[in-house]
Amino acid sequence: MSSPAKIFLIIAAVFFVNLEAGAQGVEYRFSILDEGTLSKLNLTTPINYQNLVLPQPVQGNEAVSNLYLGYGGLSTSLNVSALSNNLTAPEYNYAIKELSYDLSLSDNLDVTVGRKILKWGPGYAFNPTGVVEPQRSPSDPTDRLGGNVGRTLISMNAFFGKSSLTFVYLNDAQVQSGVFHWGMHDYALRANTFLSGLDLSGILHYRQGDRLEAGTNWSYVVGENLELHGEFLAKHGSPALYHEILFSDNPNQLFSTYPYTAQFSSSNEIFYKLLLGEQYTFENGLNIAFEYYRNMEGLSRSEWNQWMKFVKFQNGIQQGSIPVPPELIAPSRNNLLWALQTLSPRGTMRDYLFAREYYSAGSWSFEFIQLMNGDDASTVLVPTVSYRISEFFSMYGRFTAFLGSSESEYGVLFTKNSTNLGIQFQL
Amino acid sequence: MNKLSKMIIVALFTTASLATLHGQENAKLTGDEILRLSDQNRNGWTSYAVTTTILNYEDNELKEEGLFEVSIKGMDKTLVKFMNADVKGEYLLMVEDDMWIYMPNTRKPIRITPLQRLMGNASNGDVARTRYAEDYAATLVREESVDGVRCYLLELTAKRDGATYKRIEYWVEKESKRPRKAEIYLLSGKHYKSISFDRYEPAGGKTLLSQMTITDRLRDGRTTVMKYASYAEKEMPAKYFNKDYLEKLR
Repeated sequence: MSSPAKIFLIIAAVFFVNLEAGAQGVEYRFSILDEGTLSKLNLTTPINYQNLVLPQPVQGNEAVSNLYLGYGGLSTSLNVSALSNNLTAPEYNYAIKELSYDLSLSDNLDVTVGRKILKWGPGYAFNPTGVVEPQRSPSDPTDRLGGNVGRTLISMNAFFGKSSLTFVYLNDAQVQSGVFHWGMHDYALRANTFLSGLDLSGILHYRQGDRLEAGTNWSYVVGENLELHGEFLAKHGSPALYHEILFSDNPNQLFSTYPYTAQFSSSNEIFYKLLLGEQYTFENGLNIAFEYYRNMEGLSRSEWNQWMKFVKFQNGIQQGSIPVPPELIAPSRNNLLWALQTLSPRGTMRDYLFAREYYSAGSWSFEFIQLMNGDDASTVLVPTVSYRISEFFSMYGRFTAFLGSSESEYGVLFTKNSTNLGIQFQL
Repeated sequence: MNKLSKMIIVALFTTASLATLHGQENAKLTGDEILRLSDQNRNGWTSYAVTTTILNYEDNELKEEGLFEVSIKGMDKTLVKFMNADVKGEYLLMVEDDMWIYMPNTRKPIRITPLQRLMGNASNGDVARTRYAEDYAATLVREESVDGVRCYLLELTAKRDGATYKRIEYWVEKESKRPRKAEIYLLSGKHYKSISFDRYEPAGGKTLLSQMTITDRLRDGRTTVMKYASYAEKEMPAKYFNKDYLEKLR
């Protein structure tokens, strides 16, 4: 049994042995969720034509259990999941999502050590100033399956009335085959204060091998109904990896080696991320949130078009409509797989619009998320209906539709739509 | 006149004088003073904790029940811990007029507006803001009877934009200074909610509000009952009321 598995089992065992102690200070939350998924695949997309390049399941089921434990300064979140679908054998996974210790040095000063999920920034779907966050998807901002995993860090928090100062050192160190490997050193500093209703933060972030980035985020409430927020982060150059085809005149070519480079790592061009958002609550309780996000590290429309031409060329080779010597078919397939790495769940292009409507009536709640690519107007629609059966049980139905032309970001994805039905028990 | 008779006369005179003074004191009270005195029937200490149960009814049928631990520090800081299994780990923080909600799945404090509801008809401010004298300027309109009890009618207007409500008609019992009922209006002038302060009970050597009922005037048949129990004086570090500390709370 691997070391993480042993640690996992020890933590779980300590919890269950001490269940009775729950009343004496152990805080816990436990949930188990079962979600079935039925997908309609996009069989005409050039990046996965007829579902042959990277076969996707049409049916699946995921059972996820999350356990949170807090005792004094110690807290941990454990995740166990079982995944099955119509393509592969069932998979069982476990993760220690968080395991950290909070030490209170004084009434104003705290230190946290361990693996922890930290999130900065008031944005709902996008968080450009969330420099300490794990990766997440804007179409699932609440992480309903609890898949986010913390990062290894040491943080110091100083509190002064309504202000705070936070310094975080992160390192995604790993033990591989029994050997400890340091990750990149990552430093972040945040100063937060409150000025006449304006919640304002300044942020500095430096990651080893990258350049210093600086930013700000803020939120402000106007009257009874309206909240406004924004985030901005900028730096010289970018460590983002770009496919070499974006900078080539000829999209009809094959790469024999990994074709991604940090094209702008030494550039003095300013790369920024900007978020502007609001949420408005109507008198009947309907809440509408809206966000605009611009990420200058994303692809421009012409870069996207170039990438699409490249993908279509590889697809043509795979389908036989572009004749090539037989020995080039396998490399072309590799090129297609490499090309997929351009697609990011957090958005591949530059401009995005996000909207969310939420209304709750008795035991029912309704949520409707719309995420639109502002460059090609392709859209993800996610309506969700939830029903609270009791304090302990709830169920939901969620439909995700990817709409757009065959050469747009969301129109080119593997799936046209998917339906999720889930039931959850919480304790 | 014997000694006993003199003592009786003095006692009667003193009682009559005190009664007159009390009447004068009542007559002299301003709206703001009445409001401040009435707040003492809802807040026994400067810093304290109370367990709050919210019962949400639709057409007299119980639809939802929520349990919260409310911690109040000073005049303007409130921390609400959600206790039900489906919302365990959530917190609402209110500092002066500003509110954040922390949910364990989003892992960050989210700024919210006064109109966003905690549960049913109860605004966050209904739970978190119990010192009206801090939030509203009061004008004494008149005295009138409510269910046979003599009351002051106060007109409360928000001192700041961030107050939970913009205008409240507030009835305070003249004798006990206990809040009796309230009618709440939106900025638009619409009648938004009615609140009746139903019951007061002994707690920690004081008599404090133990139940109030909120009736939604925009949606027929919806009422929310809020019950208060286990009042206790409690001192908490100031950092607990800093929004960036929320992710550390257990």
